[in-house]
Amino acid sequence: MPTSMFFDVLIVGIMVGAIYTLVTIGYSMVYGMLKLMNFAHGDVYIFGTLLCYTLLTKYQLNPLLAILLAALSGGTLASLVEFFAYRRLRAAQHRMISMITALGAAYVIQNNSERTWSSQVLPFPSLFPAHQVYVFGHEVSVAPLITLTVAVLFIIVFNLFLKRHKIGKAILCVSQDMPTSSLMGIPINKIITVVYFLGGVLGVIGGILYSTSYNAISLGMGFRGTIVAFTAAVIGGIGSMSGTLIGGMILGITENLVSVYISSSYRDSITFLILIIILLFKPTGIMGSVEKDKL
Amino acid sequence: MALLETQQVTKTFGGVTAVKSISLKVDHGEIVGMIGPNGSGKSSFINLLSGIYKPDIGRILFEGEDITNYPSHAITGKGISRTFQNLRVFSNISVLDNLLIGRHCRIKNSLFNVYLNPLASKKIEKESEASVTSLLEMVDLSDRINDFARNLSYGSQRLLEICRALASEPKLLLLDEPCAGMNPAEVESLSTFLKGLQKSGTTIFIIEHNMKFIMSIAERIIVLNAGEKFREGIPQVIQSDKQVQKIYLGEEEEG
Amino acid sequence: MNKRLVAYSATLIAAIGLPFALSNDPYLLAITNFIIIYSILCLGLNLILGYSGLLSLGHAAFYGIGAYATAILMTKHGFGFLPSLVISGLLALLLGFVLGLPTRKVRGDYFCLLTLAFGEIFRLVTQAWIGFTGGAMGIVGIPIPTVFGWEIKSEVDFYFLGIALLGFTYVTLKMLIESKFGRAFIAIREDELAASVMGINAPIYKILTFSIGSFYAGLAGSYLAVYQTTVTPSNFRLEESCLMIIMVIVGGMGRLEATFPGVAMMAIAIELFRPIAEYRLLLIGAIMILVLLFRPQGFLGASAFKD
Repeated sequence: MPTSMFFDVLIVGIMVGAIYTLVTIGYSMVYGMLKLMNFAHGDVYIFGTLLCYTLLTKYQLNPLLAILLAALSGGTLASLVEFFAYRRLRAAQHRMISMITALGAAYVIQNNSERTWSSQVLPFPSLFPAHQVYVFGHEVSVAPLITLTVAVLFIIVFNLFLKRHKIGKAILCVSQDMPTSSLMGIPINKIITVVYFLGGVLGVIGGILYSTSYNAISLGMGFRGTIVAFTAAVIGGIGSMSGTLIGGMILGITENLVSVYISSSYRDSITFLILIIILLFKPTGIMGSVEKDKL
Repeated sequence: MALLETQQVTKTFGGVTAVKSISLKVDHGEIVGMIGPNGSGKSSFINLLSGIYKPDIGRILFEGEDITNYPSHAITGKGISRTFQNLRVFSNISVLDNLLIGRHCRIKNSLFNVYLNPLASKKIEKESEASVTSLLEMVDLSDRINDFARNLSYGSQRLLEICRALASEPKLLLLDEPCAGMNPAEVESLSTFLKGLQKSGTTIFIIEHNMKFIMSIAERIIVLNAGEKFREGIPQVIQSDKQVQKIYLGEEEEG
Repeated sequence: MNKRLVAYSATLIAAIGLPFALSNDPYLLAITNFIIIYSILCLGLNLILGYSGLLSLGHAAFYGIGAYATAILMTKHGFGFLPSLVISGLLALLLGFVLGLPTRKVRGDYFCLLTLAFGEIFRLVTQAWIGFTGGAMGIVGIPIPTVFGWEIKSEVDFYFLGIALLGFTYVTLKMLIESKFGRAFIAIREDELAASVMGINAPIYKILTFSIGSFYAGLAGSYLAVYQTTVTPSNFRLEESCLMIIMVIVGGMGRLEATFPGVAMMAIAIELFRPIAEYRLLLIGAIMILVLLFRPQGFLGASAFKD
């Protein structure tokens, strides 16, 4: 029945949307706080995902342990990149200098990953059971539902962290007004390290969830992930958690609908097309606010 | 006809009305000063005049022409130039290039010339160089012409910024706190310089906090308070106005 | 005698004599021709990135537009090289204008994303539109170019064609830079708001610099088409745009003359590291980071970029 398939497609779209949101949070936080387009974002978290693949397949590690290690590694790599490549250039007069540096970091990480894992598509193991269940009278697979739930849980927990935990609140302060936060005694550099770290961790989680859903992981997903993050962040509007969620969802659902109902080979082009349209017509995104130049 | 006229110009940002229905006139050849406590809307007003903000309500007329919605570069082309409160010279290029950029809209060169008539192009560029060099002589900075702007002293950079604004031969010069960071000797020099400018026909509109300076140089003072035009009059009257002192005292008490 | 005239004459003589100095060695000449093509590309990019401060990640797409235009015109429509060259350049100029127009008021970072998207879409289209562009196989069998009866076949022949194009590129860009237009680009780069207030119509100038810079990329593409006799999508990936960016940075942003040592140094480095070609990306990335961290003005660039 077409409605059943549509329902399936919708659920997968929402699942992908939630994953995209996880992946975008890290990028969006960094951009909102530092105005840096972290071109290395995707390559960093794909490194973590690839590492998870190796831990699961080559070392037969317990999945939870593998995921934990991989996420922590991704987060650590993200912080290291910031410390070594970006930190010194934070105050650079021409913003494009940091952007180019980020490109450079992306290439270094990409090349490194390529030498370890090659650019082939590798079979990522399924981590969730493959049953079917009945929801609202329609038969759906369990795996996407579990993936969706896990992703949403992480999003909710992270949101709570930002709003309730001391460090989370500090992050929000620094995002809004760095000079004042600094004067209030918030250690800016440490907070930035935390932001990159958490962004990397969430990205790896998102990457793992995606790879386990599609049973595939490859180096090329890194660049694609960066583009997804850029696009979702722009759709939703920078500097807003709800914006990131909306952006991720819209992108995930749209891509999936197009993939299934039109053609899957156009998926990449659709992402770019959406990006271009939003940048040209509503660059502040759906939830974002217009920035005023300090005069 | 006044050189510059604003009619009930109003600008709101979010919930805050920075400039509230300001109507004023500036006549040819005047030196007009605008004062007011911090946050009274002076900088916002000057940003409206130079096209950086567009008024929500009201009109701005220059020589009778409605320039309310003109972009900044067009306003400069019409004959209004300005300096910035927080100094925005191009630090990483030479003094000469700063001035030539200031003169941009008066340099009548074209791409056609550049590619198809290079001799004419070169000639126009040489003439521009000569005309801005004479500006530097007025402020005694000729010897620094090839230095990077960032290597000049703060006071000299401020003078450079004024020269850069003058490079486009403006009819109206807007100065946003030109005395900030200057020592008394420099302030005195500036005063003399501006009076000389007035003699050669430039109309000047100055925002300033330095009361001694503004009272000595301006022929008319406009006082802003909380975005509105509070008082207008000759310096002596404004200086002795108790109400004006009160709005400044209010600022002191808070400070 | 005019100092510049001396410099130009000396360079001209050196350029003419270079092949003989290299003993007409095809390998060395091939490297030289590589340097020439990338110099043309990077001079255009230096205008956009170095002088005007616009980070374009799509420069390779205009390179590709020029290459495909020449390839298609010469193989499918029997055009001669010179007309193809001109059309390729103008097409790239036009498309630069078309891309620049809607993006002229867009913020710097978003502009960069848009050029990235444009470059990627170009790549995807050339791969997918098999009927027109030959898909992943590209277009082969581009005929030997003839310029006023002179057949351009050997490395030496291509060298002289390349030098002529390079000379044209440099001289015309120099004339632009030394006029009020060049200064306007620099002003926009340094402080766009202040530039507007100085009377510079920033959006128009951004379209201008982008279109003109892309024109030269189109010329380089046309040259590549006849030099390589084939064009494929893999010549014009994002990686190429990044390579050009790093060449401009290493040589020096904001100074035309700095482009040459930048291209030469990177070209030689790539040649030297050919045995470890799988590290190519790593090298490019690492150089990008190191140069920007420690010497952002590159070898000879404008001191506006000094720390």
